[in-house]
Amino acid sequence: MNTLIHSGWRAACLALCLVAAPVLAEEAAPPAAQKSASAPQEVVAKTGSSTADHGKFEELQREFASGPEVTAACLECHTEAAKQIHTTKHWTWEYQNPVTGQKLGKKNVINNFCTAVSSNQGFCSACHIGYGWKDDNFDFAAEDAVDCLVCHDTTGKYKKIPGLAGHPTYKVMEWPPKSGKFIDPPDLQKVAQNVGPTSRRTCGTCHFYGGGGNAVKHGDLDSSLNQPMRYLDVHMDAKGPNFTCSTCHVSDAHEVSGSRYSPTAADTEGARLPGQRKPGSAPTCRGCHGDAPHPTDAKLNDHTDKLACQTCHIPEFARGPLHTKMSWDWSTAGRLDENGQRIKVKNSAGRVIYDSNKGDFTYDRYAIPDYLWFNGNIEYTLFGDPVDPDEVLEINRFLGGPDDSGSRIWPVKTFTGKQPIDAGLGTLAVAHTAGKDDAAYWGNYDWEKSLTVGMASVGAEYSGELGFVSTTMRWPITHMVAPKDDALRCKDCHRDNGRLAGIDGIYMPGRDRSVLLDTGGGLLALLALAGVLVHGGGRIVAHRLRRK
Amino acid sequence: MIKLLSGMVLGIVLTGVLAWTQAGAMMFNEYESPFDVEETAARIQANMQALESNGWKLSGIRDPGRAVAASGGNVLPVLLVEACSTDYSKPLLKDDETRILSILMPCTVTVYKKQDGKTYIGTMNAGLMGQLFGPKVAGIMSKVAADQAKFVTFDPKKPAPPLIKVKPGGGGAGGNDIGGC
Repeated sequence: MNTLIHSGWRAACLALCLVAAPVLAEEAAPPAAQKSASAPQEVVAKTGSSTADHGKFEELQREFASGPEVTAACLECHTEAAKQIHTTKHWTWEYQNPVTGQKLGKKNVINNFCTAVSSNQGFCSACHIGYGWKDDNFDFAAEDAVDCLVCHDTTGKYKKIPGLAGHPTYKVMEWPPKSGKFIDPPDLQKVAQNVGPTSRRTCGTCHFYGGGGNAVKHGDLDSSLNQPMRYLDVHMDAKGPNFTCSTCHVSDAHEVSGSRYSPTAADTEGARLPGQRKPGSAPTCRGCHGDAPHPTDAKLNDHTDKLACQTCHIPEFARGPLHTKMSWDWSTAGRLDENGQRIKVKNSAGRVIYDSNKGDFTYDRYAIPDYLWFNGNIEYTLFGDPVDPDEVLEINRFLGGPDDSGSRIWPVKTFTGKQPIDAGLGTLAVAHTAGKDDAAYWGNYDWEKSLTVGMASVGAEYSGELGFVSTTMRWPITHMVAPKDDALRCKDCHRDNGRLAGIDGIYMPGRDRSVLLDTGGGLLALLALAGVLVHGGGRIVAHRLRRK
Repeated sequence: MIKLLSGMVLGIVLTGVLAWTQAGAMMFNEYESPFDVEETAARIQANMQALESNGWKLSGIRDPGRAVAASGGNVLPVLLVEACSTDYSKPLLKDDETRILSILMPCTVTVYKKQDGKTYIGTMNAGLMGQLFGPKVAGIMSKVAADQAKFVTFDPKKPAPPLIKVKPGGGGAGGNDIGGC
């Protein structure tokens, strides 16, 4: 029996080591709110660090029939807020890139997710910080059209529904359509009386759901960051530092720092104390951690002139329980079942991999990023730019290179797609997808009607020639910072086929070879060995000769 | 004579070294999967269920990464698919001489992602391991090995089945709150 036991010891040890948690374990629940024990504590619990309790404001002691009515009440005290909002990207959905000269922003970019905002405003504006943007007639100067609540709600009960032009529902509504689930309208008075600072949840209402759903677009932003554990993000760890978005994305006059259109790829200003931060100061790692962030390892600090911090410290993205979408093929959309009804097919993890409305998808979790040189400038392929249907089209191109001192090696999510083009015009197509009208693709699956209306919305006439082009779109990875123990190790890059195998322009020991250096080193080693052998042999021979 | 003895000793030492370095790898099989971790695990579960005639029933699925995450760390995705066959477990559990092998139950197939982004499947080399424990165990384990090979043979034409989230301790062959095997 002993023989039997010893023979199987390795397998037994392994089995013993496989102590694992059940797969169904859910995310840790948020810390329970502590019950107030006395009146002053209740006040603190309700208002946080604020000196104002909006529940006591006379302007908010009334019923509100709509969001704009709440805004009008807010503006009675916050007189400049709407004017400030009107100048921000969150409001205009436009951005003029000063380097490339391109006019960007959600309003102008065609991506390879839901493609374009134009002609779909009534749906997309569920993520606009305003009320009523359903078409080109929206008044961007209207102050009461600003939605204060979507950013400042603390109740979690305020939700904007796609298709309502940026409004919440004001009556009981079935959502999603035909789901059998119904949502109640928010109690606007209660929401208004409980406004407060922005939170991960309020920012995440849109930014976690970009691209048409939870975890779809960015890869490093999804609802698992509402109450993240340490493994997912060391800064936002709900039981640790508990950073909110605004801890890093500091705002000034409602303009929130940070940009997907022109990120700061290389921050050379070093660590900045709060008082030293300028309005609009880029939210960067170095802004807090400085230029020498590794206090006990100078060699690691040597890397900071070539590597973005994110390259090592976000080794994978989508590290929460949710899979992020990695590809979207519009060319297969429109397939219906035998009854002419919409089809949805799910994968083994329960995520939709085919939807008649949208086509085929793929997903990944703990996705390994691609890496590229990046100096913060991004060029986009915009509507009207020529498209070759036989080539893979880059929706955006990250600029930079090894000889550019402002460039760093960055991790990115590369999202691949296949999306409609107007083959006659030779340009990306604007599709009218959402809406209750006859031309909306998500209803009658007719590209002809959809593209006719979509292209007309940007002043073009659809040629009638539908095509599809394969595309890529890149997203910088900068959230979901892992604990330092989980950062990339030297051998992850300094080897053949390592993480940075595709990075050119630098010599990386372990990855790169120099014939001269390798041959010279080998020869030196051989010479040293020969010297030892000759010397040792000589000593042995001499010893024997002496004995004789 | 000295040369003969020293040759024997050298041979024994070399064999020992070889066994020490290679035995571990020989105890396990590793395969690359064309599917992602969840789909691979789900297809293995489906294959296990298809062998119900051999007594196989799912007894659990575990995610060891969850435990690591709860302690604040990260590992690439890994799922342990567990199944048990009373056809094979009963004879081993009946006999005092082999009851110790219950430590290998339930039969576990591991599915994991590596740094290359690909999905891999790991199984115990049941056939080889069985041979270490005498003819009775070898006979049973050879059948387990044959079934294991079917667990990891996929028909890509079949649609992805849903991952069955049977809780360890909540199911399995004859399972109750503790879980059966």
